[in-house]
Amino acid sequence: MRYILLCLTLLFCMCPVQAQQPTQIQTMDTPNDAGGSITLTWNRADLPPKSVYKIAIGESPNGPFYLATELPTTANLMSDDPATFGHGDETAQTHFFNITEYQDTNNTEKPLKLETDKTYYVQITTQLPNGQMLPSNISPATAIQNLFNKTKINNFILGTVFSLIILIAIYMARRHEMYIRRIAGLEALDEALGRATEMGKPVFFAHGLHPMGSVSTIAAVNILSRIARRTAEFNTELKVANNDPIVMAVSREVVKESYLNAGRPDAYNDDMVFLAATEQFSYAAAVDGMMVRERPAANIMMGYFYAESLLLAETGANIGAIQIAGTDSYTQLPFFITTCDYTLMGEELYAASAYLSREPKLMGSLKGMDVGKAFLLLTLVLGTLLATMGNQTLAHIFTAY
Amino acid sequence: MLFLRRTLPLLIAFIVGTLGILIYYIPHTAAQDLEQELARWDRIIAAFAMLLGIYSLMSLHLNRVKRQQGGWGYSFLVFLGFGLMILFSLYNDGLGPFKPQVADSGPFVWMFDNVQVPADATMFSILAFFIASAAYRTFRARTPEAAILLVSAIIVMLGRVPIGVLISDWIPWFSQWLMAVPNLAAKRGILLGVSLGAIATSLRIIFGIERSYLGGGE
Amino acid sequence: MKDFLINLDRRFIFIFVAIGVILPALTTFPLPIKPTANVRAIYNTIEEVAAQNGTVLISFDYGPGSMPEIQPMTLSVLRHCFSKKVKVVGMCLWPQAVGLVQQALDTTSKEFDAQYGTDYVFLGYKTGMHSLVINMGRDFQGTYPQDLQGNNTADLAVTQRIFGLKDFDYVICLAAGNTPDGVWIPYGQERYKFKFGIGCTAVMAPDQFPYLQSGQMNGLMGGLAGAAEYEKLINTPGTATDGMRPQSVVHVIIILFILLGNTIYFLYDRKKGGAK
Repeated sequence: MRYILLCLTLLFCMCPVQAQQPTQIQTMDTPNDAGGSITLTWNRADLPPKSVYKIAIGESPNGPFYLATELPTTANLMSDDPATFGHGDETAQTHFFNITEYQDTNNTEKPLKLETDKTYYVQITTQLPNGQMLPSNISPATAIQNLFNKTKINNFILGTVFSLIILIAIYMARRHEMYIRRIAGLEALDEALGRATEMGKPVFFAHGLHPMGSVSTIAAVNILSRIARRTAEFNTELKVANNDPIVMAVSREVVKESYLNAGRPDAYNDDMVFLAATEQFSYAAAVDGMMVRERPAANIMMGYFYAESLLLAETGANIGAIQIAGTDSYTQLPFFITTCDYTLMGEELYAASAYLSREPKLMGSLKGMDVGKAFLLLTLVLGTLLATMGNQTLAHIFTAY
Repeated sequence: MLFLRRTLPLLIAFIVGTLGILIYYIPHTAAQDLEQELARWDRIIAAFAMLLGIYSLMSLHLNRVKRQQGGWGYSFLVFLGFGLMILFSLYNDGLGPFKPQVADSGPFVWMFDNVQVPADATMFSILAFFIASAAYRTFRARTPEAAILLVSAIIVMLGRVPIGVLISDWIPWFSQWLMAVPNLAAKRGILLGVSLGAIATSLRIIFGIERSYLGGGE
Repeated sequence: MKDFLINLDRRFIFIFVAIGVILPALTTFPLPIKPTANVRAIYNTIEEVAAQNGTVLISFDYGPGSMPEIQPMTLSVLRHCFSKKVKVVGMCLWPQAVGLVQQALDTTSKEFDAQYGTDYVFLGYKTGMHSLVINMGRDFQGTYPQDLQGNNTADLAVTQRIFGLKDFDYVICLAAGNTPDGVWIPYGQERYKFKFGIGCTAVMAPDQFPYLQSGQMNGLMGGLAGAAEYEKLINTPGTATDGMRPQSVVHVIIILFILLGNTIYFLYDRKKGGAK
């Protein structure tokens, strides 16, 4: 009986000690990185306050082991890093730590960084407030370079799906006629060009301040080619003021090509497409001066504009020109809306080039964008409803890590 | 010739564009090193593009001076200003062109502080006058929506200056709400659409469907 | 009179705006400036960085045109950093900013006896925009081996332990263009998750609210009013605070003209079908 009682007592005393040792330890390469890091996970335990975890690392299972870090027992839960560990309930019950370096006090003062493709051995020790140390087993792990960042998988899938939608839409546009709704500003383009022809005044075109790589400048250049074709046909003078030399070079080619296609190569000259200035306000001053002197009958401003938008548009309004503007610059839209006769907002600028040319590649892109937007709208509505009911699944799917 | 003018640029656009997208998802050191290298090349090209801009500008104004086109005197001023700034930059406040540029004294800094800064600031300041005249001319409550816009504009204008606080504490609060809720919603909607447009255009460029950046024609 | 008001020459409006700017600028009357939460967030973050003896990266992306709005922000933020011994690394994505920032650094460093190299470093301008941020993000000293004065960044006390954007405690972008949302957020903040605040022109401020709400930005100073609020927080009134007087008066003048225009429209013009 005494022996049974003694055994039970010993068992009772040991259990809390065993429960306080780190358990369910897993060591692995830190995911989604370029190597040089090992991740350690272990179960949360009910420990007395002021206990700490000491994580030690060595290059051999027999040691020596060097301290990598000390952690309070409430820190570093997997729920703090949902990008790597997800959103499950178990993440709040598991600790983690990424070891990237350790202090080898024997050899150097500078911390040693972990090497890639080298095996290290890790041990966690629980230090209780009374000084008692409870080490875990030693676990090996090797840091390797990863080929894919899994935290971006949602981004990758969405990007791939959108890209496929757009490419399929372009493919289908080459085989079927696609509908595009009326855009008032573009319907008025012929009216504006006709007015300029009747008055014998030039048509003025501005691309905005962004370089050739910008989506809005590409859309603007596409629109310019259609306008140039019309001015060639109507025998109207066209003036294109540029801010960027590369955009100017591309615009010259585009306008020349349009005049050639309209059968009026003789009507083209390089002075039609000129570099006004490369600085924002120098450009605005040069163009305003040109507007006041030459009094164009139609001002067409397409592209990405900054503060000069109001300077250009107000001057154009003051000289009585008919003005059509299109920009994806959100901050300049109010200025164009108040001063121009027609304004294309946001993606209407991208739609404009498709609308004017009816080219399959542009129509298809537009359709693909519409499908993408419909999908996003649906997601927004569903996500809002689900989040209101306490379900964050859709929100997590669309979270960028 | 067609290979150099069309095919090679399209091939480069495809390879570099695809690599640029894939690199974003690959944490491996080789991919990240490649991204760093491409970024360095881009920075070097951007610096040389500045030279292209200078050449274009000078060539344009030289033609104007040669042909004595209308306003050619101003083109002469362009050369004068350009030449002076180059000289001052090379002089570098007496240190010469091979020492780091002095940024707090010397004729270059004087020209910047006393010519460019006032001129640029003045041009920007003209906006204040233009917005006043544009607002008077066009902010009319022609429709209920326009009336809502008008009232919102007045509240935001008052809310952004201390006078709004003097009138009522509700004005800055409501102004902030207008910016943080309806304005944010509208901006986000446009941002989503514009971003999709950017993806579509980028895909067209990468796959060679969009070729306008090469300059005219198919 | 009716015709005169309907077809009001805009030069009359210009005269009133000019008077509205000049007279308040020449006089002094107090106006209450209440810092908003967005401006206070930047202030509080710098206070936290100061408590940790941290380093702030400030990207100055503006030019002479936007100098009246952004330069007061530059001066206020620098004064705050220097007064709290926060180390500052300055850089420019716009070339026109270099001269303006140098002036601001010269002024504010003298006020607080901040030493170049140990309290602040100025890297100047480099081309590349987003490519520059990509390079800096991973290899700061490789991208900026030397500062504007030719000193090695590996040797300067402020930058010797900075190896990438992650090593900065706070990044602030004072911008007049699209560098905050077009460069710093997609190529910097999204990758390295540093704390990011901006100061921008008033016209750009509405653009930035989505990023504030998503947490990609933690603070925003919008226009001269934002600069005035920051001056209030650091108890150093400057040109922004002085600028609130003409700005307030001109806002009221514009509102009065809008109301006048609408009154005329409803009284006379509406019946004729409205004129533009």
